[in-house]
Amino acid sequence: MNLRPDPGRAWRSMVRAKWPLLAVAILAVVVVVAAFGPWLAPLDPERQSIASRLSPPGTTGPQGITHWLGSDVLGRDVLSRLLYGARISLLVGLAAIMVGGTLGTLAGLVSGYFGGWVDDVTMRLGDMQLAFPFVLLAIMFLVVLGPGVGNLVLVLGIGQWVTYARIVRAETLALREKEFVEAARALGDSTTTILFRTILPNTVAPLTVIASFNVASVILTEAALSFLGLGVPASVPTWGSMLAESRDTLLANKWWLAVFPGVAIMLTVLSFNIIGDWLRDALDPRLRERQ
Amino acid sequence: MGILVARRLLQSVVVILGVTLISFIALHAGGDPTYLFVSERATPEEIALVRQALGFDRPLHVQYLSFVADLARGDFGTSLSYRQPALDIVLGAFPATIELAVFAFAIAIVVAIPLGVVAALNRGTAVDGSITMLGLLGQSIPNFWMGIMLILFFGLYLRWFPISGHVPFLVPLLNGDLATALGNLPRTLYFLVMPGLAVATYSLARNTRLVRSSMLEVLGQDYVRTARAKGLSEQVVVVHHALRNAWLPVVTMVGLEFGFLLGGVVVTETVFSYPGIGRLLFNAINQRDIPVVQAGVILLAGNFILLNTVVDLVYARLDPRVSLTRGRR
Amino acid sequence: MKLRYLVALVAGLAIVGAAVMMIRTGPRAASTIVVGLSADIATFEPANISSRDNMNIAHHIFASLFTLDLDGQHLPSLARELAISEDGLAYTYTLREGLTCHDGEALTADDVAYTFTRIADPANKFTGNAPGFVFSSIGFRGAEALDPQRVRITIARKNPIAFGLLTEISIHCKDSYEKMTLDQAATAPIGSGPYRLVSWSRGAEIVLEKVGASAAAFDRIVWRIIPEASTRAAELMAGNVDIIANVAPDQIAAINQSGVAAVQSVTSTRRMFVGFNQAEQFGKTPGGRAIRDPRVRRALQYAVDVPTICRQLLQVECQRATGLVNAVNANKALSPYPYEPATAERLLDEAGWPRVNGKTRFALTLQAGRGRYLNDVNVVQAIGQYLRDAGVDLTVELMDWASVFQPLLRTRTAGPLFFMGTGGGLWSPIYDMNDLARVDAGTNYPNWSDPRWFSRWDDLTAAATPEETRRIVDEMLQVFYDDGPWLHLYFQPDFYGVSSRVEWKARPDERIYAFDARPKG
Repeated sequence: MNLRPDPGRAWRSMVRAKWPLLAVAILAVVVVVAAFGPWLAPLDPERQSIASRLSPPGTTGPQGITHWLGSDVLGRDVLSRLLYGARISLLVGLAAIMVGGTLGTLAGLVSGYFGGWVDDVTMRLGDMQLAFPFVLLAIMFLVVLGPGVGNLVLVLGIGQWVTYARIVRAETLALREKEFVEAARALGDSTTTILFRTILPNTVAPLTVIASFNVASVILTEAALSFLGLGVPASVPTWGSMLAESRDTLLANKWWLAVFPGVAIMLTVLSFNIIGDWLRDALDPRLRERQ
Repeated sequence: MGILVARRLLQSVVVILGVTLISFIALHAGGDPTYLFVSERATPEEIALVRQALGFDRPLHVQYLSFVADLARGDFGTSLSYRQPALDIVLGAFPATIELAVFAFAIAIVVAIPLGVVAALNRGTAVDGSITMLGLLGQSIPNFWMGIMLILFFGLYLRWFPISGHVPFLVPLLNGDLATALGNLPRTLYFLVMPGLAVATYSLARNTRLVRSSMLEVLGQDYVRTARAKGLSEQVVVVHHALRNAWLPVVTMVGLEFGFLLGGVVVTETVFSYPGIGRLLFNAINQRDIPVVQAGVILLAGNFILLNTVVDLVYARLDPRVSLTRGRR
Repeated sequence: MKLRYLVALVAGLAIVGAAVMMIRTGPRAASTIVVGLSADIATFEPANISSRDNMNIAHHIFASLFTLDLDGQHLPSLARELAISEDGLAYTYTLREGLTCHDGEALTADDVAYTFTRIADPANKFTGNAPGFVFSSIGFRGAEALDPQRVRITIARKNPIAFGLLTEISIHCKDSYEKMTLDQAATAPIGSGPYRLVSWSRGAEIVLEKVGASAAAFDRIVWRIIPEASTRAAELMAGNVDIIANVAPDQIAAINQSGVAAVQSVTSTRRMFVGFNQAEQFGKTPGGRAIRDPRVRRALQYAVDVPTICRQLLQVECQRATGLVNAVNANKALSPYPYEPATAERLLDEAGWPRVNGKTRFALTLQAGRGRYLNDVNVVQAIGQYLRDAGVDLTVELMDWASVFQPLLRTRTAGPLFFMGTGGGLWSPIYDMNDLARVDAGTNYPNWSDPRWFSRWDDLTAAATPEETRRIVDEMLQVFYDDGPWLHLYFQPDFYGVSSRVEWKARPDERIYAFDARPKG
């Protein structure tokens, strides 16, 4: 029953499966780019030059600036925006998971451990969340709050909490009657200690699996919200907003505006999904039905 | 059983009220919506008159309570931009979305099962690899982008499918006009192909992978091995033994899945200019047409709860281990 | 067994293919024209219509007393004559004989009077363009039938443009509308125009059918609501739609190269500008203080390259505006501010706002709505870049137009810099200047108060000859050019995609009249 991750076993199974290795390699690149993007970027990602807008990849502009991946509708350098965008896209994805995961885990722990009305209230809130189509909820709040990285993270995070709450609650329900929890209680450990030191570590495995799938879906949702004009502010580059901005130029065959951010999103989401798959198989096969 | 239904009903009322409260707060948090309903050069006096006519001059809690009181009488209010009963507006857009969601859902199931089975039966081969990879890709493409690409390639370049629009099937059917409904059906389906695919891609990809992995699991089980050992043909083994068990996890997701599809149509309906509830509500939110938003949200939430209750009941029939009072978690 | 599956697969595909061939839509009837619009419409209650697209469709169903043609000519329609009283307060229209509404009811002066009084009736709580803009602009007093053919409209104050505004009122009959509830009137209009409503599928399409002996060429008009620009263009290029509005500038070339359609570009009367809001509340910040100084405003005029914005982002060549009046009525002595970044920098230095530590001079926020005007998101960002280049620490805020930006405009608190466009006219410079007629006018969005402008309105009213009026107008426009509250931009171009199977000419006033279209060849 103990589901604590075992790094050695994990590594061996990853090497055996090959795909996860590739996914980890891709994500490593993305993380490096996200961390060092500002130093890697050849140009200021927000610097416009409308005279040289929509230059195809490899074009060298009048000031001797080469747009290796082309320039966008305002003449901004696509490569630089892509590199900066890695940071914001990843940040939005991870931060939203942190917000949703923290909220959900707390709610799940409390409602699973205490039961009763606390449980009822939490679960009804969860039902409301699930019954409310998430995209509509997100639209409603973003229309009112206005675009902004913080608002986006908040809305995307709130959209995720139920998944975490339900899983943690189920684990907590199962664990709270276990001997080692009883033992901790008998030893006089405080409720907080039992919740966070005894029960929480045992839910890490399923949470990790869900989180890796969730990052993928959050990145896609961000793109969809950008499409509706509700993502980050217009000048801030994220992969989703770059892809959304490409919609009017697709007809004019300005492929580089869609292909580069599109590939970046696809590879990243793909990697998170592959890792999620592998984590699930390696750590907790029972989760399959919940994804 | 009766107790369960009663309990569920009570819970639904709480959930639906909660949902309306959330949207009420969200829509009013953006400030006074009156400005959306006066012409560009209205004077302050005219604006004040309109505010009063729309009832926005009352304190917020009074507005909400009167909304709930009206709701209890079955009155959903009048759309502020269409000036028609809000429920009629929402119900008018709902059938098109149901058509889209059912169609997409069908694709996501009907195509996913054979793909998943084929992948599982050919485990480790190039066939399995490509299906798995396609599945992963399908889960990585934003659906608006998928929609635009479908339009440009299959709509404009190849001219295989219509680019946008909708031919109603459910509306004539519900009006009792069976001949028109059946006459429309082929074109309804034809117009649904591209938006349906765009909506279904994500679920299709996910279901394929789901069927594949549960199929693999079942194929490894003793009774399948026994069946094979008994010399039954591969077809019989797959269809009668493995598949029957393998698609159960897919069925369990029906309720959640359908809600997910309904929520995800906002973007697709915009791309394909499809006259459904997603686009209607998106516009209504932007225009602060509060009664329409509320009616739509209630309808969607109610629909979600209903589906999940039905799924739970069916599931309880299928699998007696599931506790009815707790439901599926 | 493998073969069996293959055969089944091929057979299945063949059946699907055959079915597809059977249900594929054939060419449309030659007598139908399809128009693709970007925004949905809300109602067919003429008194509640407020959006341009909605009004465009309504104008096919409802006729008006007079119309304005492409060149702003005032032409008879339901009425054949208009007489305006000496004092300019009574407008007497004489109707043509034998008019009927779509249900056959005779249309007489009584019906016209009813139409007007119904709009003004507070019990109906109408909020459309007719009561909210036309009636309040002309100060509508009342309407009465003098005899079966003559109807008199009275207004509160003399107004040189009232005759033009009155063309926007949609006329209908009395008996049919008295019978209908407001709900019914919103969905089942009984009009007086060349077409009647056949079906309206909300969010999808509106089908109109020609009435009787109308001179219009097409028997049916189908208006389709297609919000996404790429989808609209694709439908046009696929030959499914004949006219589309609001073509995205970056799609013009693709449409022109398709061979099945071409884009018509027309400069509209909509004046695009960046306003400098001088409201009290902004005076607390350095940026807000800076833009109260006319020298700073003038300096910033030199910082923005408007022709390049037009060429690159709007795909048209344009001449920068010199003020708030449409080009035909502008002060001919004025030439547009050139793009001279060095001049801008020098003037800002001289005005006492040097770059601090060689970086920025002062901070400003540029606010704008999203998706309201042609390519607005990109235009606003480009303007932001130009102003940053001149040393302004500029933040661009793009907001939801209807729910966030519009309320700011209404309370005159947008800004301190705000981007917008207001509709103008070609018939009179005063119409275009009218937004800034009083310091406390609701449309004085920049809270401008220069007495050299506002004190001249009395002179305008007192002016005895057109020459004198023109001289005063030119003097006012000079003040506006030098020290006005606008950063001058351009007149918005409108793009319509038109299929090569129809002949149709785009208008500068954003009106789409499909009854003017003719099949080609």
